[in-house]
Amino acid sequence: MATTVAAPPRYAVPHTKYERGLWSWLATVDHKKIGQLYLYTAIAFFLIGGLEALIIREQLKGPNGQLVSAEMYNQLFTMHGTTMIFLVIMPMGAAFFNYLIPLQIGARDVAFPRLNAFSYWVFLLGALFMNAGWIVGAAPDGGWFAYAPLTTQQFSPGLNMDFWVIGLQILGLSSLAAGFNFITTIINLRAPGMHFMRMPIFTWMSFVTQFLLVLAFPIITVAVTFLMLDRFFGTNFYTITAGADPLLWQHLFWLFGHPEVYILILPAFGLVSEVLPVFSRKPLFGYPVMVYSGILIGFLGFGVWAHHMFAVGMGPIADSVFGVTTMLIAIPTGVKIFNWLATMHGGSLRFTTPMLFAIGLIALFTIGGISGIMHSSPPADLQQTDTYFIVAHFHYVLFGGSMMGIFAGTYFFYPKITGRLMDERLGKIHFWLTFVGMNLAFFPMHFAGLNGMPRRIYQYQANQGWDIENLVSTWGARILGVATLVFIWNFVKSRRSGAVAGRDPWGAATIEWTLPSPPPEYNYAVIPTITSRYPLWDAKSPELTADVPHTPEGEKRTDVSVGGKETHASFKGPSDTHMASEVAHPSAKELGIAMPTPTIKPLLASIGLTVMFLGLILKHSVNYQSLWLPVLLAGVAFFVVSLYAWLLSPLEPEHH
Amino acid sequence: MTSHYRTRRLAIAALTAVIVVGLAACSTTVPNTTLEPKTEFGRAIDALWDTLLFWGTIVFILVEAFLIYVVIRFRRREGQPAPRHVHGNTTLEIAWTLAPAVILAIIAVPTVKTIFTTQANAPRGSLTVEVIGHQWWWEFRYPEHNVVTANELYLPVGRTVNFALKTQDVLHSFWIPQLGGKRDLITNRTNYLWFTPESTSVWNGVCVEYCGTSHANMRFKTFVVPPEQFDAWANHQRGGPVFMPAPTPTAPTDTGAGAAAATQPAAQASAPAAQPQTSGSLPTFPADQLPLYAASYNPVPRNLTIGNVTGDAARGAQIYRTAPCIACHVVQGVSAGIVGPTLTHFGSRTSIGAGLFPNDPRHLALWIKNSPAMKPGSKMPPFGKSPTMPAGYDDQQLADLAAYLLSLK
Repeated sequence: MATTVAAPPRYAVPHTKYERGLWSWLATVDHKKIGQLYLYTAIAFFLIGGLEALIIREQLKGPNGQLVSAEMYNQLFTMHGTTMIFLVIMPMGAAFFNYLIPLQIGARDVAFPRLNAFSYWVFLLGALFMNAGWIVGAAPDGGWFAYAPLTTQQFSPGLNMDFWVIGLQILGLSSLAAGFNFITTIINLRAPGMHFMRMPIFTWMSFVTQFLLVLAFPIITVAVTFLMLDRFFGTNFYTITAGADPLLWQHLFWLFGHPEVYILILPAFGLVSEVLPVFSRKPLFGYPVMVYSGILIGFLGFGVWAHHMFAVGMGPIADSVFGVTTMLIAIPTGVKIFNWLATMHGGSLRFTTPMLFAIGLIALFTIGGISGIMHSSPPADLQQTDTYFIVAHFHYVLFGGSMMGIFAGTYFFYPKITGRLMDERLGKIHFWLTFVGMNLAFFPMHFAGLNGMPRRIYQYQANQGWDIENLVSTWGARILGVATLVFIWNFVKSRRSGAVAGRDPWGAATIEWTLPSPPPEYNYAVIPTITSRYPLWDAKSPELTADVPHTPEGEKRTDVSVGGKETHASFKGPSDTHMASEVAHPSAKELGIAMPTPTIKPLLASIGLTVMFLGLILKHSVNYQSLWLPVLLAGVAFFVVSLYAWLLSPLEPEHH
Repeated sequence: MTSHYRTRRLAIAALTAVIVVGLAACSTTVPNTTLEPKTEFGRAIDALWDTLLFWGTIVFILVEAFLIYVVIRFRRREGQPAPRHVHGNTTLEIAWTLAPAVILAIIAVPTVKTIFTTQANAPRGSLTVEVIGHQWWWEFRYPEHNVVTANELYLPVGRTVNFALKTQDVLHSFWIPQLGGKRDLITNRTNYLWFTPESTSVWNGVCVEYCGTSHANMRFKTFVVPPEQFDAWANHQRGGPVFMPAPTPTAPTDTGAGAAAATQPAAQASAPAAQPQTSGSLPTFPADQLPLYAASYNPVPRNLTIGNVTGDAARGAQIYRTAPCIACHVVQGVSAGIVGPTLTHFGSRTSIGAGLFPNDPRHLALWIKNSPAMKPGSKMPPFGKSPTMPAGYDDQQLADLAAYLLSLK
């Protein structure tokens, strides 16, 4: 391991309340701090969602499990799915978008730093709202897919689904705001010379993901708004007694839900595409094809939604069309797998922890991809859908794919975020426990499903041929639980005692590794000019990139940076002056870089928004029903006032 | 160096574990398997599955083998020269774009063919069975025979059956794994599913669309019987109840499938494909001959008990006439409720609670006493005497009611 042993960076002593302590987090508009907030929040929810999974597995370890009731089980599987999708994998993605995109494109922050803070706070409050049901004993219980009419007031009269409907509404706002923010950031804030086809592949996959977010979330917002109006104001979008067609919900949900799958997997693809070249000492094989296949997956992702609905009786033509489009999407996905393999082929592989997780993604996602093809065929799907075969499939995709990619990214970028490396020995233990536990937990589910075990059942009888599979799955889940504890321990302890990372502990190729670890508030003292896809390798190991097409230097692009001020300097590698001094880099003020002022207003605005929704849910409460409108209006007023205060205050200090 | 060996040993251990699990899974008795279909519909799906499994296995082996080869062959070694800096290869990339496309075409053609053959209209002369989903039980109607029943589906072997699938409330999904694919029950719509059972046996059916609290407890049994027996069954079901009272003690010893013995059901037959046969004069399937996988046994909550009393069917009949039962249940000639399952031939059914418990005096008495305690979310309120319901039935009355219902053959 090429660990640069250097003194940890020392910064100018923080001198205002904005730079240290709790306040520095509450008022931050720094994309790196917001990224960390996303990361820590997502890890916390990973523990909660994992605990829910463990209870589910304990309940199912044998026939007629008695650990939890049917009602509790239904809440657990609903919240496990909802948590892992919306409160773990998506915010993990958001953590990396936030932390990495500005660093990777050579910017000082995102395009709208305060909107970025708003996105995080709205996400956090939405996540808490979603889980608030646990406190009042009425967590959502309609499944993460919340099929109407089961989720209408008639069949789910409790507060349970109110928490889900409103929670998802809030989370959707967060994702939309973040999506537009990152699209603007990537289009407008790239450093000079950072052409689209020079962008790091993670930024590229993130870029595609943002478009999926801004196109898919309005659809679920509409679907959920209908349900919210039905539940709270007696409209009839899904009221079956008024003649509603419940398939409206399914079409809207999956028209969002399938792109959502790619929202969950593309950032992980991006992360392993960063990790594999570094530890293979080879440029990414077929960079353009990797980019185009990512875009193609994004496009096709909108044309396959009804493959979640092959059993609803759409008729042979719709089934055929969606079956074939689903098969088509396997092609760009397969291309990615082959290109990763080709990246490794002929390389000089170092099996660091991030590399192990990246290889794990290739090995396991392939299985999920193959089982995906198996139910792309509608008749075959009729024997598989809503059975444990599907549970096996999407855990290979989301755990074997998304989570493995996220773990690879976490180990890989941890030193950039904290300045210290995570422990490699613990990391490898974590990997192998995860790899073994994951396969033990999810592979037998294929057999359980093919042997007729339905999903979402809190109990099953003995002698159905499902006992062994379930017992093994439970043991796998327990191993995964241990693996997660190892990860958490490593994550926490390395922050203090990990080996000092230096700027570029892995011998990486992209510009974020030219910065000190952790980078200063302003990221780049001087905005670098980019001349190739792999600037660091050009500088340090030109033999690695000799074959990669370059364009001549000297192309200048004048765009605003966040600081408003701009100084262009050609990037000449890590020996360049603004990176040389490891110690005591100057503050933004000393450099005359205008950074956005920390402000609490986005947090206040998000609180106002949440209070507004809290008012709505009070409408269904027993004791506080009369308060619903006053609380709702107070929330609206607080939101509007905070928003005006936010919008009327300047982004940067008036004079500097 | 040792770390490499350790890594490899762990990998081998992991693979071995996966294979052992796989073999173990194959050697278990699998009464609900989708892989040994008993209808033409199931076989059409299975043929596709074989194609999918074949190509899936090939792709799996190729990719994983290549990955393992690369991982072993190209790991960093001391004094290794710098890797060749290949950044792409258009020919290769076109090749591995086209190869999956070809495989997908091989899969897509039979897929589309199968979609159109299996979703065509059912052949003329099919037996129509209306399936109506309720939270959480199944209603089966045979318009041709003017028969309505619940949770137990009788089908004649060799005749195509066309299911018209509807739901009274939320979405459900109708699935008998051994007989073919599933189809959802969509509110305000009718879906169709047809197939031809090819052999006589008992199969488990389940609801596979999440439908609320007791989704897991929405099961049914399918009896595929010879045509003569089916006709006899239909004739019997069409008429009113045959009153066949018998002393019915609620002692738990009466049925081995009681609370304590939940994991060790008494049913003796373990052959997965027991031949349905008539029991005595009744054309219905005898409950004591259900194969193990189709027997209903679930533990009764510990705090739900009933004294050892013997029910009297005649007394039960008297109670029933004025009982709240009649508001929801039909007993031909006695009561006309339509909300709950029909009870006209209740005594000839093998289970209660949509496949949850054996249909014996003790379980039935407990069910009437407190159905929601036995089946979460059950829409049938508790009728037993309790501190909160002092006007409820006492144990003797419950046993009498049970005896009456069980005598309705």
